[in-house]
Amino acid sequence: MRFLSPMAFAFAAAIPVVVVFYLLKRKRVVKLVSSTLLWQKFLAETQASSPFQKLKHNWLLLLQILLLALVVFALARPFLAGTAKETPLRVMILDGSASMQSTDEKPNRFEKARAEALKWVDGLRDNEQMMILLAGATTQVKQSPTGDKAALRRALESCAPSDSPTRLAEALKTAGAFTFEKRGEAEVASGEIHLFSDGAAPDLEEAGNKNLPLIYHRIGQGGRNLGLVALDVKANPENPSQRAIFTAVANTFTNPITTDVHLLFDDQLLEVRSLTVAPTNTEPLVFIAPQNRDGIFTVRLTLEDDLAADNRASIVSRMPQPVKVALVTRGNRFLEKALRGPPNVELTVMPMLTDEAKAFDIAVLDDVVPVTWPAVNTLAIQVANTNWIERRDLIKNPAIVDWKSTHPLLRFVNFDNVQIAEAQAIKPPPWGIPLVESPQTPLVVAGEQDRRRLVWIAFDTLQSTWPLRISFPIFMANAVEWLNPASAESGALLVQAGKPFHLNLFEPVSSAKITAPDGRTQNLPIEAGTREIIFTDTSRQGTYRLQAGTNETLFCVNLLDPVESNIQPRQELPFGKYEKVQATTLKEANLELWRWIVAGGLMVLLFEWWFYHKRTV
Amino acid sequence: MASDLLTPDLLRRLEQLQLLAQRRTKSSAKGERRSRARGQSVEFADHRNYTAGDDFRYLDWNLYGRLDRLFLKLYEEERELPVRIFLDASESMAFGEIRKFDFARQIAAAIGYVALCGFDRVSVVAFPDHPEEAAVRGALRLVRGRKSALTFFQNLHQLTAGGSADLNQALRRGALEARQTGLAVVISDFLDPSGYESGLNALVGRGFQIDLVQVLAPEELNPGTYGDLKLVDAETGFIQEVTFGKFRLKAYQQTVQNYCQRLREYCQPRGINYFRVPSDASIEDLLLKRLRQAEVWK
Repeated sequence: MRFLSPMAFAFAAAIPVVVVFYLLKRKRVVKLVSSTLLWQKFLAETQASSPFQKLKHNWLLLLQILLLALVVFALARPFLAGTAKETPLRVMILDGSASMQSTDEKPNRFEKARAEALKWVDGLRDNEQMMILLAGATTQVKQSPTGDKAALRRALESCAPSDSPTRLAEALKTAGAFTFEKRGEAEVASGEIHLFSDGAAPDLEEAGNKNLPLIYHRIGQGGRNLGLVALDVKANPENPSQRAIFTAVANTFTNPITTDVHLLFDDQLLEVRSLTVAPTNTEPLVFIAPQNRDGIFTVRLTLEDDLAADNRASIVSRMPQPVKVALVTRGNRFLEKALRGPPNVELTVMPMLTDEAKAFDIAVLDDVVPVTWPAVNTLAIQVANTNWIERRDLIKNPAIVDWKSTHPLLRFVNFDNVQIAEAQAIKPPPWGIPLVESPQTPLVVAGEQDRRRLVWIAFDTLQSTWPLRISFPIFMANAVEWLNPASAESGALLVQAGKPFHLNLFEPVSSAKITAPDGRTQNLPIEAGTREIIFTDTSRQGTYRLQAGTNETLFCVNLLDPVESNIQPRQELPFGKYEKVQATTLKEANLELWRWIVAGGLMVLLFEWWFYHKRTV
Repeated sequence: MASDLLTPDLLRRLEQLQLLAQRRTKSSAKGERRSRARGQSVEFADHRNYTAGDDFRYLDWNLYGRLDRLFLKLYEEERELPVRIFLDASESMAFGEIRKFDFARQIAAAIGYVALCGFDRVSVVAFPDHPEEAAVRGALRLVRGRKSALTFFQNLHQLTAGGSADLNQALRRGALEARQTGLAVVISDFLDPSGYESGLNALVGRGFQIDLVQVLAPEELNPGTYGDLKLVDAETGFIQEVTFGKFRLKAYQQTVQNYCQRLREYCQPRGINYFRVPSDASIEDLLLKRLRQAEVWK
């Protein structure tokens, strides 16, 4: 036996109330009478007379008929029809991103979304089905299509918001797969997609609308929020024993907001700074702090705003280690000097590389083709026709037309006044992305293959004006930073919520255990011989502790998403350049009325009880 | 002769009444009632042949002149009418704002007084027996003559109501005890769980002319107490729980009506006069109107 509404058993709580009524002892008045003969006859006549009698006007009878009518009416499950049309399938997508934890709706946006979705479950008709998707960093199918309201309610109750940014595209693709059906050649929408979200979704453009039967239920009213949107830690260029912690605080509210910003190292308060952020502005902040051991820097906003998830961010900071660089060159003073520039660099200059350079962290090949390709991260200048780079041609005076200034390698690097005598034209390699380009060929390529990073420069720096420019030493410093395996590793220790955490292992381990910020411990399945650990359950921000074999690694999961920190709900969802979906308030769910009717019936029942006793006394 | 039971004015009016006997009396004592016996009176009854030794004074000389034979004129002997009053003195009669027993005693006093004035023999049978009232009750067993009326009233006045009565048994015993039948007046509330049929049947079978007065208290006809009640029978101690509201008053009254109607229907074919009277009713109305109309007396 199954029950459509097992919650209705809660009404059984009314049974003790009725029993209590009957437990109340009726106080009888003792009266001496001449004879009980007439009373006995009276009772016998009124109780056991003919089976039927003439119907008399009786208020109790009317009340009981009213009660019965209400019960029957409730059993018929009447509902107030909403404006929603009947459809065979409704796919409910609940946005489970961090911004849905905003408290501008009480108790928060996610609970509001859940309550709205539950209304639609209540209004589900017998011939309709519903499906529940939870869209966090990944999309989870919480309930496959069904008409079972109890299962749908259970699925909704099991949904919980995460600290991750919104990723709606995947959820919409999943929902789209269910709501279209083929009729001949054409695909026809056979359902509706209801999206309960605040609209803070940057990935909708890639989804494309494709005429999705999407109904956007906007959740949220907009509120006051100050959020950390960036966090990084570097060695202080002026004092290598100190660390520079860079962070940025964004204000998405329409008024300026003032807060205290705390910097903590391993949960010990180092510095407090007061900060006022102008409306819709982002304010960068740099803390300088000494560090004498590996630890975690945490930046905290003390303000109590509508979204707490972005008020705290942490980053793992390790003590700087010397970077061993092998420069293989026939002589390049500019390059040598530039490589000596960054702090902690131990440079070894050699004319030829004979082994895999495993003793070094970085190998720099300056126009020298080594006998053995280095097994470490490599900066290769004009080294072509290798396994990595295939040369095609030589180009005279290539003009630099574009460079990706957003890449860490080209931070603060400008190629405006750099001239090049000749460069090698290559086929763009599949592992790398071109950073500096001429019309004919990429001039600088950076990428990663076989767990090694490679930066390739297509021209001889001595055959260009680049070494004379300020951008040259900056680029080299960036390259050392990017190629340094320690910094690459520390970069991997900062993970955005919802994104997977990768850890490369030097040697295989037999077991791995991870401890979440809430203290939950989880054993990770390890395949034999694997040299990589991937952990995907990073929906909660905080510090995770990974125990792989005998090594312990800390990594931090943070939100750090300006789009998510902007908690102003979007009135429309943009799909590409031309498509958009407006938020709707018209698609009201059907409203079932039986609960109110049952409540009314209960009141009638109580009134009837009271009325009965009033009449007999 | 100021009586607590009846007012002097009512007594004066009662003196003018005379009990009507539907049958000739079978009493042996002289009185003023026609009887089957032949004797001395002014009412001619029949002739019979003269036999030696007959009193010449009763010879019909006119008949002798016409027929030349001697006939003796016979006259009806006038005898008294035995009036037997069965008075219910049980506990249930002690109820009522105006006690049913008081009212019943008034009725008994009035009927007895009318009978005494008519030179009839009055016998009051109060039941159940009360040993402590044995003397009074014994005195009430046989009362004759108008001069005894005062004592009769006083004795009636000393009667008390109490105990549990068996109406059937009392009537049956009364029927057996009576040497001559006559008028039987039963005054009771007839609320006896064992019924009244066998007792009345015994009286009817014995040949009594029966008048039946049912006295009910106003509270019994129209109860004024509502709610959840625990009723205790004064006579039997029986407890009856009942939930009674105003909306059931009519149903109760109908029950009482049905009960009385059954008693009436029982009386009618047996030639019993039935009167139902509430204890707060006017005694004059009962005595001077209703009993007169029913030809209990004239």
